[in-house]
Amino acid sequence: MQEKEAQWLTTVYRDSFPQVARTVQQLGGDQETAKDLFHDALIIYLEKQRNHTLDIRVSLKAYLTGIVKILWIRKCKQDSRQRPLDNMEDQLGIPEDFYTPAPERTTRLLRYLQAAGSKCLQLLQAFYYEQRSMQEIARQFHFKTARSATVQKYKCLEKVREQVKNTREYEEAVA
Amino acid sequence: MRKQLHEIQEIDQYVLREMSAADQLVFQARMLACHHLQEKVEHQLQAHALVRRFAREAQREQLSEVYDRLWETDASFRSEITAIFK
Repeated sequence: MQEKEAQWLTTVYRDSFPQVARTVQQLGGDQETAKDLFHDALIIYLEKQRNHTLDIRVSLKAYLTGIVKILWIRKCKQDSRQRPLDNMEDQLGIPEDFYTPAPERTTRLLRYLQAAGSKCLQLLQAFYYEQRSMQEIARQFHFKTARSATVQKYKCLEKVREQVKNTREYEEAVA
Repeated sequence: MRKQLHEIQEIDQYVLREMSAADQLVFQARMLACHHLQEKVEHQLQAHALVRRFAREAQREQLSEVYDRLWETDASFRSEITAIFK
């Protein structure tokens, strides 16, 4: 994390978390839950900012509190009487795969890949998730050129893709 | 770049919508004709999803560090949060 971004996150955390914590407490949640939901809300915000799909018409604090309320309701799996909040959910546009719990296979795969080479995953994260340019990535990961960083990026993706394929084939074979 | 990496690059261009409309149509036709290519696209999408999960986990860890730092160094933050959950 870059220094400026770390500073910004600390400021947002200090300013917004107490209000979110109060909301979660009023909904019946504890401190740990407030923390987890706040982190998820911030991640959703940052992803939307990176993807240029952020459309905020309220303060950041209110936006984060709104997302936390939705995440809380999802967490509690409340019934259809909560429908009015679905409209709010659409407006805030929470990423589709955010709620999906990681299947056992995904978690195992991730652990394997982390153990096999976290540098590869970090490189892929920098490009696909943080959306950094290949020039930036070349500097960050000490490649001579953006071109060589690009080749390495595809080699890393190939490695992950192969692992996905092998895991699936293995599971189909033992099923 | 070897052939396999070129193919990965091409699939990336397709799934990240970086292809022209015409190239997209040609690629979709190739997928229909070749089940193997279709599978590779699917695996590549899953690889992207894995990277996303990895990145989110890493970000959650970073945010936990911010919380711990504030908790340890900012007494007013700590007492505010403690008062909410007392």
